[in-house]
Amino acid sequence: MLVTWRYQERKSIIQYFDPRAWIIFYICFIASTVFFWDLRFLSFFFFVALLVAITSGIRWKEMRRGWLFIGAFIIFFSLLTFLTGRGSMELYTTEHLIRNINLPFSVFGWQPMLKITWEKTFYAFSMILRVFSLASMTILLPYSLDPALYGIIFKGLGLPDKFAYGMDLTMRFIPTFGRDFQLTMDAQKARGYELEKINGGLFKQVRKLAPLMVPVTIHAIAGSEDIIDAMDLRAFGIGIRTWIQELHYHKRDYWLIAFSILMLLLVIALSLFGIGKFWVPASLIV
Amino acid sequence: MKIPDLLTIENLNFRYLIREEPALTNISLSFSSGEVALIAGASGCGKTTLIRCINGLIPHSYRGVKSGRIMADGKDLAQLKLAEISQMIGTVLQDPERQILGTKVINEVAFGLENLGFNRQEILERVDESLARLKISDLRDRDTFSLSGGEKQKVALAGVLAMRPRILLLDEPLASLDPASAEETLAILRILADEGMAILLVEHRVEDVLKIHPEQVVFMSNGEVRYQGNAEDLDESINYRDVKLPAPMIIERARNQKPAVSFPVFELPASNRESLVSFVDVEFNYEEGVPILHGISLDIHQGDVIAVLGPNGAGKTTLVKHAIGLLKPKAGQVLIGGQDTCKMSVAEIAQTLGYVFQSPSHMLFAPTVEEELSFGPQNLGHNKDSITKEVKEAIDIVNLSGMEQIPPLSLSFGQQKRVSIAAVLAMRSKILVMDEPSAGQDYRNYIDFMDAILQLPNFDAILFITHDIDLAVIYANRILMVNNGQLVADGKPQDILKDYDHLHKNRLVPTSLLDVNLKYLGKTGRFMRAEQLAQVL
Repeated sequence: MLVTWRYQERKSIIQYFDPRAWIIFYICFIASTVFFWDLRFLSFFFFVALLVAITSGIRWKEMRRGWLFIGAFIIFFSLLTFLTGRGSMELYTTEHLIRNINLPFSVFGWQPMLKITWEKTFYAFSMILRVFSLASMTILLPYSLDPALYGIIFKGLGLPDKFAYGMDLTMRFIPTFGRDFQLTMDAQKARGYELEKINGGLFKQVRKLAPLMVPVTIHAIAGSEDIIDAMDLRAFGIGIRTWIQELHYHKRDYWLIAFSILMLLLVIALSLFGIGKFWVPASLIV
Repeated sequence: MKIPDLLTIENLNFRYLIREEPALTNISLSFSSGEVALIAGASGCGKTTLIRCINGLIPHSYRGVKSGRIMADGKDLAQLKLAEISQMIGTVLQDPERQILGTKVINEVAFGLENLGFNRQEILERVDESLARLKISDLRDRDTFSLSGGEKQKVALAGVLAMRPRILLLDEPLASLDPASAEETLAILRILADEGMAILLVEHRVEDVLKIHPEQVVFMSNGEVRYQGNAEDLDESINYRDVKLPAPMIIERARNQKPAVSFPVFELPASNRESLVSFVDVEFNYEEGVPILHGISLDIHQGDVIAVLGPNGAGKTTLVKHAIGLLKPKAGQVLIGGQDTCKMSVAEIAQTLGYVFQSPSHMLFAPTVEEELSFGPQNLGHNKDSITKEVKEAIDIVNLSGMEQIPPLSLSFGQQKRVSIAAVLAMRSKILVMDEPSAGQDYRNYIDFMDAILQLPNFDAILFITHDIDLAVIYANRILMVNNGQLVADGKPQDILKDYDHLHKNRLVPTSLLDVNLKYLGKTGRFMRAEQLAQVL
């Protein structure tokens, strides 16, 4: 059976709007953010994302795991690009040194040196703001959209009935997969299986994951067959569907949609003029 | 008005494409409106295939070779689309978990009508009508995943009834229900039949269904109909070891049976007061303020065979998961051999305590049954020779000999369940814990493996969760009754199960076997199975 994300009705900016309007805003926000590498523009999106997160009414405890995962992910990759300088090479061609740091150890007589430049530093900050904004806006969605409305939201956004219901099932498949994974993990642990003890070569390690991956995959496939049977037995897909839930736009929703579209158009226009590319203050690199 | 032959099946034969042997042979049956028909038989007898042929999933979703004809209300089903069939014939699947699609109850019940494109107003009216008919209007705006097993079954039924079918098919609808929910579901089905619906009920809990006086009973075996007629005459044609018949019926028949059968002697060590597992004031909750377990204190001693009884959602599985260390108490302690489970890994605990999960599909992964069974002992570091011995013995106990090289995932649900039990038996843990060992099993199979398990000299104690009071009557020497996260009774079966008021309060329904056992307890001195009673009385 499909389970849902932990949705609750909350007093928040997100839930103040019609979910369709919010999805449109979300898509425009994501599209706009990825146009920029300029820290000044990214700060705007970062603050919007931060504001939405703070006013979301979702307690830290509820989404701590998600945040910790994303936080660790962002920091790890930002640090990696900062230390290696990889990944950012297409954005700048020259670098301006802040200082060289000799690392306090040597490898076979060679002493590694960390070259800290303004470009690398600004790139790391831009990266953090950018990924945080995208991740934060995304992670809030499942906690803020009523699962009973998934289908009608996508139908309302213009998808045909079958796709809209498909999206509804897909959104619920993710937490269901998580639950099944946990159940399998528990069942195998009770048979003495310990994930921590997996070692050996890559192939061997993957093989040793079979006790987790096989049941979870098979269960997902069998589960989808059950879902298809249950849908077929109740005449799904035979014609135009009625959706008992109704959504109604309010004035504020039209304002949000207009703002979202204008924002995206403006961003596209700015980027056509070459504005918003990677930026380091000129005063620092004279 | 009663319509005779509302559904007729003429010379139906079917073989799945992937199988060589036929699943159904020469089935000819007819069902009238206003009647309950019980279709009984052991696992693999063709009951589910018959249901699929009637509701159109065969040939729509399952391919095979089919011949014969099924007519419903004068129409040949082969000429109808699945959507047309579904308006005439409603199906409730075995496990409501596998049928419910809606996030909220109202969405679930409305689903079929939404697909048929009814207008919103009419859908809402029909949804309310269906919910009211099953007396579950209060569930209308609840999330489906938060419902108990019994509530889910009723919601799944409401979703089918909203489409106003004239024929209702139910595939083992009682399998996951506590006794009181099963009784309520059956009572509803009787009412629906009396109102004019034709009800086809596939179930091997024959005893329970007989309580609602089915007008027709069909007994199937190996894809063929062995008996078709009324309930009164069925005992002559059905082997009482294949399906669960009422105890007086079994006693009557076993009495006439020559030679008398002998019954297994259980080999558990003599009881002593040494505590193997201790729960000390255990509290547990997932969300603050919503306790799942509250103030649980108990000891499991050597020689205990414990049946954990209680309604759906009472906290039975949560309690047992504390014993294996998969859940740690929020307050209090769980001790295994004097050691706190908070300080032990689940793998360490598994050496002492083997846990068979409710659903086998969450654990089976290996390419052969043999490898599946070796997995646990290998993890526990057993040597190769003992693993071979342990695996062979476990396979014999669950009656899967000859299937060693077959992939467990290709087996039927009942067989998978037995593999999952064997997988834990092979680990040779000192305490065996089973969550609903009889769910999805036919009567003969679970009685056979329970007999075999109890005869093993390996275990210090056995604990099983069950909805089947008879399983507790036959095998347990101690009952733990759990309700609302609390231990509401702990004692000998004779003491706990004689209090019928208390049983009803905990959504348990006394069975005919319990009745007979209590009646003759003075003479027998202990609880026993119906065949044994036949010899003693």
